Amino acid sequence: MIRELSRNRLIWDALILALIVVSCLLVSYQFAFSQAKALDGFQLIYLIDLFFLVDIGLNFITTYRERGVEVFDKRQCSRRYGRRMLVVDVIASVPFDLIAWVLIGNGHVLGGSLVLALRLLRLLRIVRLFVILRRWEAFSWSNPAVLRVVKYFVSILLLIHWLACFWFYSSLASGFPADSWVVRAGIQGADAISQYIRSLYWTITTMTTVGYGDITPGRTVEYVLAGIIMLMGASLYAFIIGSIASLLNSINAAKNRHWERIESVTEFLRDQEVPADLNSEVRNFYEHIWERYRGVDRNRMLDDLPPPLRLKVLLHLTEEIRQTVPLFRHASGLLRDALLTSLESRTYTPGSIIAHEGDRGKSIFFIAEGSVEIISAADNKSYGTMSNGDYFGFMSLTLDERRTASIKAVSYCEMLVLDRADFGRIKKEFPEFTDVLKRVSAERSEQLSELVMDGIIL
Amino acid sequence: MEIKTTETGDVNVIEVAGHLDTNTSPDAESAINTLIDSGAQKVLINFAALEYISSAGLRVLLATAKKLKASGGDLKICSLNDTVQEVFDISGFSSILTVSKDQEEALASF
Repeated sequence: MIRELSRNRLIWDALILALIVVSCLLVSYQFAFSQAKALDGFQLIYLIDLFFLVDIGLNFITTYRERGVEVFDKRQCSRRYGRRMLVVDVIASVPFDLIAWVLIGNGHVLGGSLVLALRLLRLLRIVRLFVILRRWEAFSWSNPAVLRVVKYFVSILLLIHWLACFWFYSSLASGFPADSWVVRAGIQGADAISQYIRSLYWTITTMTTVGYGDITPGRTVEYVLAGIIMLMGASLYAFIIGSIASLLNSINAAKNRHWERIESVTEFLRDQEVPADLNSEVRNFYEHIWERYRGVDRNRMLDDLPPPLRLKVLLHLTEEIRQTVPLFRHASGLLRDALLTSLESRTYTPGSIIAHEGDRGKSIFFIAEGSVEIISAADNKSYGTMSNGDYFGFMSLTLDERRTASIKAVSYCEMLVLDRADFGRIKKEFPEFTDVLKRVSAERSEQLSELVMDGIIL
Repeated sequence: MEIKTTETGDVNVIEVAGHLDTNTSPDAESAINTLIDSGAQKVLINFAALEYISSAGLRVLLATAKKLKASGGDLKICSLNDTVQEVFDISGFSSILTVSKDQEEALASF
């Protein structure tokens, strides 16, 4: 079986996508502009048909997703494809015109136009284009906005092309009467490419509401066609402008939201005459948050997820921290999971006080990244620093004593905070937790004992 | 707080009962210091009857350990209750101070 979202299938789909566009352009062009030479050459069309026939075969053995679960059963896959897309794909891919040509013969007039009409069946391939684009939306890398642009762009391109073909065909079908636009524009005898360019030019000027008036409708059928194209153009125009505006907004939605928040906060602070350096500290904090977390509140972001999925994401997000923070290195899988779901992430700006002297400890702080300084206001002295992987707060919490020093962030600090309730719960649920903490603190027991000897309780 | 000092062989056993906190620690410290000053080298502190220890109490223990180590002696601790054991574990002191389950085990470890 070929997996729906596999790399090979993706490459094949991209190829098919390109061939769909090429064949839709080619078939209609050939139908409207190069009638006489219709049956000579254009082997390209048949070559493309070959790819589509192979694609039908592959579709039978490609998996699909039902309610979020990938179905691998071969029978189910082929039955689903057979029911949903097979008929359209067969009509669009089998070269019926080639068959008709062989049966009726080349020279026959009726045969020639029948063959050409049958060729148009290939336009049904456009359905496949949307099927592929819908499949791509399931890719995690795919940007929905970009896919939407591709979809609009291809649809508009094809629509304009088809209308141009049809505009020329309206004259051709009635045998180029003197009042038809082709004759009045003097391109009846021109080569197919010039004719096509003129038709395309008229379609675009009409659809974009420019309408120079150098090519105008002359017959009833042309007036009707022009009216329809104008209506389509006007609505398309509105649609395109609206889509582009919303696209530009949505591409950078997160960043815009974040910057709007920064602007409103700093604006408010300026209004309240908060000192400029404090204001810029706030700004720096937001910029740091953006750099690091893309402005997402990582404690709330995953709240909607069911616990197992949330844990999976957390495990991935904390991969680096789990390597550096000894707490996680020494913990068993279950304890690690319990910690991950209970720890709260907090960011501190350089110079801010993480834990205050005189407070009673309510949480244990683990330093995930950054370094902090232990300072005592009482004797205005520094008692050393702590960095990645170290932790503090348990002395004050377990002994229920007030802190005798403050912890100040030296750099931007990413802290993981475990509050008293969670600390108690995890300790009770996982007796190994104390052992883990013991192993972690054993690595820096000298520093800790020095601190206690100096009367520093954190 | 009550302090009782006994000698078992060449080991001085100090039994501390009640609360070892900011108020009582100075007394405990001076009692231990007197013992060390009088030449005691092997000291065992039995916490079987200890109800509560504060950071001040921990400081006394660490200071004693340091002092004894400097003079070539040894400090051992035994019979910690759960809370005190936890404080020792989490703070990493159980790797600096030798903690034994009971007095017998502690005496044997000298």
